[in-house]
Amino acid sequence: MKRFEKFTMKTAALFLGVFAFGSTVLAQGNPTLSDAEVASAAVTANQIDIDFAAIAREKSKDTQVLEFARTMANDHQAVIDQAVALTEKLSVTPKDNAVSQQLKADAEKTKEQLRAKSGKAFDKAYIDNEVAYHTSVIAAVKDLLIPETENAELKDLLMSVVPALEAHLEHAKMIQQKMSKK
Amino acid sequence: MSMHKVLFPCALLLLTGFSTLQERPASKTHRVEIVQMKFSPSSLSVRPGDTVLFVNLDMVTHDVTEASGKSWKSPPLAAKGSWKKVAKTSASYYCSFHPVMKGTITVK
Repeated sequence: MKRFEKFTMKTAALFLGVFAFGSTVLAQGNPTLSDAEVASAAVTANQIDIDFAAIAREKSKDTQVLEFARTMANDHQAVIDQAVALTEKLSVTPKDNAVSQQLKADAEKTKEQLRAKSGKAFDKAYIDNEVAYHTSVIAAVKDLLIPETENAELKDLLMSVVPALEAHLEHAKMIQQKMSKK
Repeated sequence: MSMHKVLFPCALLLLTGFSTLQERPASKTHRVEIVQMKFSPSSLSVRPGDTVLFVNLDMVTHDVTEASGKSWKSPPLAAKGSWKKVAKTSASYYCSFHPVMKGTITVK
């Protein structure tokens, strides 16, 4: 029974993660993404976390939040640089699509919510969002973008990004835990 | 004092010194790769004076920071960057950018 509950929880989390990332495409009954669309979604997802980090660097005074935000900005920029270099090498132009648009729309709402907060409430909201966002993106990269990708090099790049996303998630959870003890 | 009385101890010293040097193993360089957000190997045993070479094979920047944060720290290592350190004492270390990444060097 416990195993079943664990499986159900995991499945639900996975579904929510993929759903949050690709709800529009799935709702259209056409989950197929071209490599150009996968590249666009990957770049957009990374850019969004850089944007979240920029807000944190503007609003937070907490050293560990600021250091985390700096790492997010640097790491996600490194991923974008790799993705852009690869698409140029493959002569693929990232193509805007329903997944990228949904990501941007959701991010705008989150940015608005973050900008409305300040002090410790902001720090908590930023880190909570980082935990939720990375959880969602990891599920989407593993279960939507990687299976949808045809080009082996693009697939390899996406697979090599997963450990970094997982390390970011664990780091965000560490900060979240420290904040809850304060 | 006759010449041989001086030369004999000197020769003996040179010989014993030479043999001691021969018995002591040469210091080695150990390679620790930083790959997929892990130090590999994460646990390393070395002899005093051995060199540990850290090589970043990830696309993101890492560093190598002694656990207390007070003893030693590498500069930021961009992709394909490397840094080496002569091991004198045992230490635990981590990446200050990604604190979930940890490793140890045991000096025996």
